[in-house]
Amino acid sequence: MARLEIRGLRKSYGKVEALKGIDLDIADGEFCVFVGPSGCGKSTLLRTIAGLEDINAGTIDIDGEVVNNLRPRDRNIAMVFQNYALYPYLNVYENIAFGLRARKVPDAEVKVRVGNAAEMLGISGLLDRTPRQLSGGQRQRVAIGRAVVRDARLFLFDEPLSNLDAQLRDGMRAEIKRLHQEIGKTTIYVTHDQIEAMTLADRIVLLRDGLIEQQGAPLDLFERPATRFVAGFLGSPQMNFVETKLEQADDGLALVFDQDRKLPLDPTRVPAFDKWRGRDVILGIRPEHMSRSGDGASRKPAETPLNVLVDLVQPTGTRTYAQFRLNGTEITVELPSHTVERPGTTIEILVDMSRIILVDPETQRVIPG
Amino acid sequence: MNSGGATGETVAGPGGPALLTRASQAADRNFKYWMIFPAVLVILLIGLFPVIYTLIVSTQNLTMMDEDTTFHGLMHYRALLEDARFWESLLHTFIFVVVALPAELIFGLAMAYLFLERLPGRQIFVALLVLPVITSPIIAGATWRLLFDNRFGPINQILGWFAGEPVPILWTVDPNFVYPAILIAEIWQWTPFMFLLLLAALSNVDQSQIEAAELDGAGFWRTFTRIVLPAIWPVMAIAVLIRALDLFRLFDVIWALTRGGPGTSTETISIYAYVLGFQQFETSYTSAMAFLVIVILAVSITLILRRMEIDR
Amino acid sequence: MRADKGLGLTLRYVTAIAVTVVFLFPIYWLAMISFKTPEEIFAFPPVWWPESIQFANYAVLFKDGDVDTIWNSMVIATVSTVCAMFLGTMCAYSIARFRTGGNFFADWVLSNRMIPPIVIVFPIFLLYVQLGWVDTYVGLIVLYTAFNLPYVIWMMRGYIQDIPLELEESALVDGCSRWQVFMKVVWPMARGGLFATAVFTFVFAWNEFIFALVLTRSDVTTFPVQVTHYFGGQSNFWAKIAAMSMLGTVPIFIAVALLQRFLVRGISLGAVKG
Ligand SMILES: Nc1ncnc2c1ncn2[C@@H]1O[C@H](COP(=O)(O)OP(=O)(O)O)[C@@H](O)[C@H]1O
Ligand SMILES: [Mg+2]
Repeated sequence: MARLEIRGLRKSYGKVEALKGIDLDIADGEFCVFVGPSGCGKSTLLRTIAGLEDINAGTIDIDGEVVNNLRPRDRNIAMVFQNYALYPYLNVYENIAFGLRARKVPDAEVKVRVGNAAEMLGISGLLDRTPRQLSGGQRQRVAIGRAVVRDARLFLFDEPLSNLDAQLRDGMRAEIKRLHQEIGKTTIYVTHDQIEAMTLADRIVLLRDGLIEQQGAPLDLFERPATRFVAGFLGSPQMNFVETKLEQADDGLALVFDQDRKLPLDPTRVPAFDKWRGRDVILGIRPEHMSRSGDGASRKPAETPLNVLVDLVQPTGTRTYAQFRLNGTEITVELPSHTVERPGTTIEILVDMSRIILVDPETQRVIPG
Repeated sequence: MNSGGATGETVAGPGGPALLTRASQAADRNFKYWMIFPAVLVILLIGLFPVIYTLIVSTQNLTMMDEDTTFHGLMHYRALLEDARFWESLLHTFIFVVVALPAELIFGLAMAYLFLERLPGRQIFVALLVLPVITSPIIAGATWRLLFDNRFGPINQILGWFAGEPVPILWTVDPNFVYPAILIAEIWQWTPFMFLLLLAALSNVDQSQIEAAELDGAGFWRTFTRIVLPAIWPVMAIAVLIRALDLFRLFDVIWALTRGGPGTSTETISIYAYVLGFQQFETSYTSAMAFLVIVILAVSITLILRRMEIDR
Repeated sequence: MRADKGLGLTLRYVTAIAVTVVFLFPIYWLAMISFKTPEEIFAFPPVWWPESIQFANYAVLFKDGDVDTIWNSMVIATVSTVCAMFLGTMCAYSIARFRTGGNFFADWVLSNRMIPPIVIVFPIFLLYVQLGWVDTYVGLIVLYTAFNLPYVIWMMRGYIQDIPLELEESALVDGCSRWQVFMKVVWPMARGGLFATAVFTFVFAWNEFIFALVLTRSDVTTFPVQVTHYFGGQSNFWAKIAAMSMLGTVPIFIAVALLQRFLVRGISLGAVKG
């Protein structure tokens, strides 16, 4: 059981600054996910916590004890690696027992603890095999078993599922979540996959270029992104961004586009955006927050129609993605299947103006309101 | 080394154990130096001590008779420059290098091509062909001594079949035949070395590039110089370098076949240094020669490595 | 070239066999002499195939105690190989994982491999006279260890670099000290490379001649030196040369045959991986 407190953490590799000042608190028992594009410093942050990398500045504090100068073995942390890190010359039993052996735990206790861990992960039947004789999913379980058996105070996972095929990944994801609920240990999980992050996390820490871009509960981040980067990173397909202008229209404000198309702002949000009147902004709108008019559903008050010419149709079976151009930018809209059959059709799109965000083009930050 | 071992999962608190942890942390920091320390110590025995020792002794005047350890400057180096036997031994060494090295390379390459394409039982051929390489050079020399025997050896016998009359060549004595004899033994032993490395290198050449070149109408020679040679060059360079260094220190085979004879006609640097040092006990003079050889080697290796850029 | 596949294959086969016969003939001749009677050895014209395989030439070596030199070679080669492997792998690990000493150190280590034995044997001899190490096991063992270390370090560095770093990091997190990581992870993971490298280290020490010639007298004479004792001015002890050479060579042939797949990487300083 552990609380983690990180203050002003910096780490460089030669000239490359991988972490540029991280402040982070993780509560006892929390499932925290570090997410971000490849190369943003997720692994580096995780490895500094594990003690595998020296740091250049700042403190790492576990349960009130600064661990900066503790070696990995003295931090009492368990870690699961991307490529499983199983020892090919040991069988599954000895692989799981490795950490216990290193700490000279008596044989009898090793036996009990390995047995329990194997039971929990459903690999009791595999204990005599060597890693080579296991499938990817089984290897992953053994790797997790190695961590679980240790009874460490903090669990670290570095992209544990990225080597598995898609189907297996979904299953293992659920299992990791279940495991966390059972054991309740503080867990930090690194992934570049935003769906994994959304589904697993109590809290998401979104990293970008060695800094924390935003952190919070998954839905908080999804619904109230602080920056264009966060808004674009979470959600699939990505949020659409269109450069546009906020202008006076009738008795409120409207976003204006080419071909005289306009989207009047939701009256309730007008006061917040008032000082952006007449200025350039970037509109952010998720594909699922647009629909085709005349779908049968009655129109909500915040929805505003927009005439668009569809130039690309991508059916996925459950949904269909259609693309159209707006101010020279390709916009994707998510529609029910069969809503549009082929490109070249002009349709009327309804935009849910209560869900749009506006981004300051200078700072790339989301304008509050 | 074992701090925290017996305490199992409990983590060192702020009390005593933390001190232990800190101590072993220092051990961690110095770990990498401790790991190289013993090896470096032993290597210095051959890598530093002899160099310094020969340098010092070469400026004194130690001989079998005399224990004169006063400073004599570059006396021996000057004498060395005027020592015809030294220059001749250098020349002999040079002859062995420039004849044997290309011969081994060309024969090795030809053999590698012979075994490059699929040939059932190739593994067995390769396993047999490598045997000369792993034979002790002195044993190889001894073996050839038996083969070259003018009366009871098979070589003269076989030559006799072709000549149609008995061939009485004194291979290890006749000045006209000692060089061929030594070179044959040397080439016999080390051609398979070249063969093995070049076969491995050739097998790794991207086959599709060769096929593309052939489709473009390139002949064998063009394909070889444009595609194959650049691809095998790194391995070939290392093989040539290793063999050049070995040939430069050639000793065993000559020792077994001619001991540098007749007279001093097949004396290499190594043989001459041995004779000077261990038969005539010219301690300081030998040291000067040894040091000069070290300098020559150090300079040429540096230059060669830089030219070939095979370093990494 | 491709068209006449059948003919080409036959031709290549014939050539391959011819080449192999040429290269194996000296070894065959050596083996045959070791089995011949004195009359057969000194027959003119030479006897190409002995009447009967007889082991008298070997029996003499055993009776006179000449085979002790094989034992000496065995002790010296084995102990120096173990020492070189252990110290060398430690050093290689440090270089591979921590870049200890940087490129300069790695180059310096390798450059020691290039020193001709004749250059160092003289000062070493004088040093050993002082230390009383001439004609002792320890003298040759230390020297062969030193001479093999650069090779071991160079080779093992390559093998260690191929070990996934994650395995070591995982062990560190799991509670191993650096030394334990080396013993429990690096050592077993590098096993294949260790054997391959050890064979060549062993072969070098086993075959070495100059050092042994200078630094042994009678107590620890190694077999290559012993063979040269049979060289005479006019009459060579042919039977002994052949039998002794066989005793010293066949074990190496067997050892290397067992490690075929490491052969190329081993003798090319790792220039060819595989
Ligand atoms: N050992 C290293 N040496 C040099 N640069 C490194 C090293 N490890 C990571 N980096 C750099 O640090 C940055 C962050 O890397 P990392 O933490 O691995 O990213 P990711 O978020 O994909 O896990 C990257 O720019 C990477 O190139
Ligand atoms: Mg990563």
